[in-house]
Amino acid sequence: MRGAEGEPPVVALDNAEIVYDRHFLAVQGVSLEAHRGEIVALLGPNGAGKSTILKMISGIGQTERGEVTRGSVSFEGDDVTNAKTTPMVDRGVTHILEGRRVFEDLTVEENLRCGLYRGGRRLRSKKSDYELAFEYFPQLEDLLDVNAGYTSGGEQQMLVIARALIHRPNLLLLDEPSLGLAPKLVEDIFETMREINKNEDITMIVADQNAKETLEIADHGYVLEGGQIELSGPADELVDREEIKEFYLGAGGDESQYSEVRHYKIRKRYN
Amino acid sequence: MSDVVDVATGLEFFITGLGKGSVYALIAVGFALIYKVTGVLNFAQGWFAALFGLLPVVLSTSLVVSFEISPLVAVAITVFAGLLLGLVLEFGIFRFFIGEPVLSVIVVTLALVASIEGIVQYLVGPGYRAYPEAVLPDWTVPLALGVELQGPFALAIVFAVATVAALMAFFRYTVMGSILRAAASDQQAAMVLGVSIERTIVVAWAISLTITSIGGVLFAMSTSGWSFAPYTNIGILVFAAVVLGGIDSIPGAFIGAITIGVIEELGTGYLDPVVAPGFGTVLPMLFLLVIILVLPYGLFGTERIERL
Repeated sequence: MRGAEGEPPVVALDNAEIVYDRHFLAVQGVSLEAHRGEIVALLGPNGAGKSTILKMISGIGQTERGEVTRGSVSFEGDDVTNAKTTPMVDRGVTHILEGRRVFEDLTVEENLRCGLYRGGRRLRSKKSDYELAFEYFPQLEDLLDVNAGYTSGGEQQMLVIARALIHRPNLLLLDEPSLGLAPKLVEDIFETMREINKNEDITMIVADQNAKETLEIADHGYVLEGGQIELSGPADELVDREEIKEFYLGAGGDESQYSEVRHYKIRKRYN
Repeated sequence: MSDVVDVATGLEFFITGLGKGSVYALIAVGFALIYKVTGVLNFAQGWFAALFGLLPVVLSTSLVVSFEISPLVAVAITVFAGLLLGLVLEFGIFRFFIGEPVLSVIVVTLALVASIEGIVQYLVGPGYRAYPEAVLPDWTVPLALGVELQGPFALAIVFAVATVAALMAFFRYTVMGSILRAAASDQQAAMVLGVSIERTIVVAWAISLTITSIGGVLFAMSTSGWSFAPYTNIGILVFAAVVLGGIDSIPGAFIGAITIGVIEELGTGYLDPVVAPGFGTVLPMLFLLVIILVLPYGLFGTERIERL
């Protein structure tokens, strides 16, 4: 089931083409949807266009001279093609950028504090300021006075998710949350993301190279290659697809291109 | 009794150094603030100070109107002008450089240096312009051994200490302070939390020039009038002070400036007669060279400078 009946998707890209610096074509003809309450996985290798798509949804891509040149991006039914970051943040979009971008010389508490404001106004909730963060990431409570730059990679990933969580988004964009983390830690963090998604009713789009872990928590998945969608479907179906297994788990063949793997498979099947 | 006289002279040099250092501190803190928040080395900071020092002259000797203003009123007016100039510069010039390489902004500040110098020389001339009596503080602070602290320097020390304390509290305890530091640390990551980079830069320029204006006008008061040349010297000394303190540290800029002021004054007092006239002004630079060799990040700098 994808969202409630009649409700527009939280985010929809319709045949979007994204170009950097007017010349570099990064994403071509991509259509995708994320419905309320879903976790949507964007999978694919480096340079497939996963980050680019997230950046054009949150608007931060414009600071890197990115532009949607064809097609459209809509948010909750409204056209937000090439909208700037500030209005998107005001609409409840929070983007967790790739690479655990904590504010290094600020303490953990100061990092969290920066999440408490939106559109220049203090966010109010029934729970005390950081309670929501500690509920999912209790480790952070002991680190409040530590400079964020000195915390471990896992702690930094927890901190950026917690900071975004306090920001009370409707839509959370996560870029490579598993990058450079130990497998066990990835499992824990992804499990926590699933809990947040369920309990706090936050729609998520997760771009990650770790297909196995991401599909495990996702409802729907898109596989990108060279800026185009190669494959999409419900996560539980994708996880069983031979192509995914071969390409991501390296079981069979030494082809480096996903598309080659698929064509090879198709040929094999019909010969 | 010659010992007592020597101690008194030394104390006087030291106290004057503290006063001068505090004047430098007001300008240096403004410089460090802009660097800390926007990553820009504003080489024009000393030249802005010169503009502010000129303001009371303009106000009190204009052909159309002339005001009899007290020292603190002069400071207040200049502070207002500082705030105004900060906003004008941000909206008029630096706003258009958001997202451009920091180096091009630094070159813009060098262009400002040349422009200010040219325009002021053309309009006012290079000569010395005395401040009206009314603007100058007519009091001094008596200290031990008959040494007195000049009024402008006393004001400078008070303002410098208060400003640095206020700024440190601002950055440490207020949300706006946290957000400014966050934006300085990672612009994009701050933007996706809804921080307006434009706003943080406006705030930085406005506060910076407000503080610098106080330094500019108090320096003129300490010499009973205004002339251009000393400010160009200050512009360089202030850069030395900020580098000494670690470029992006507010308390570092303060301590660096005090150190530079005291070294300059002691050097002028004791070494000028021995070595050569003007050696006192060179001494802080030599000191800076040594310090930077030993401590590349200055006294309090963040040990990670990528923006240069």
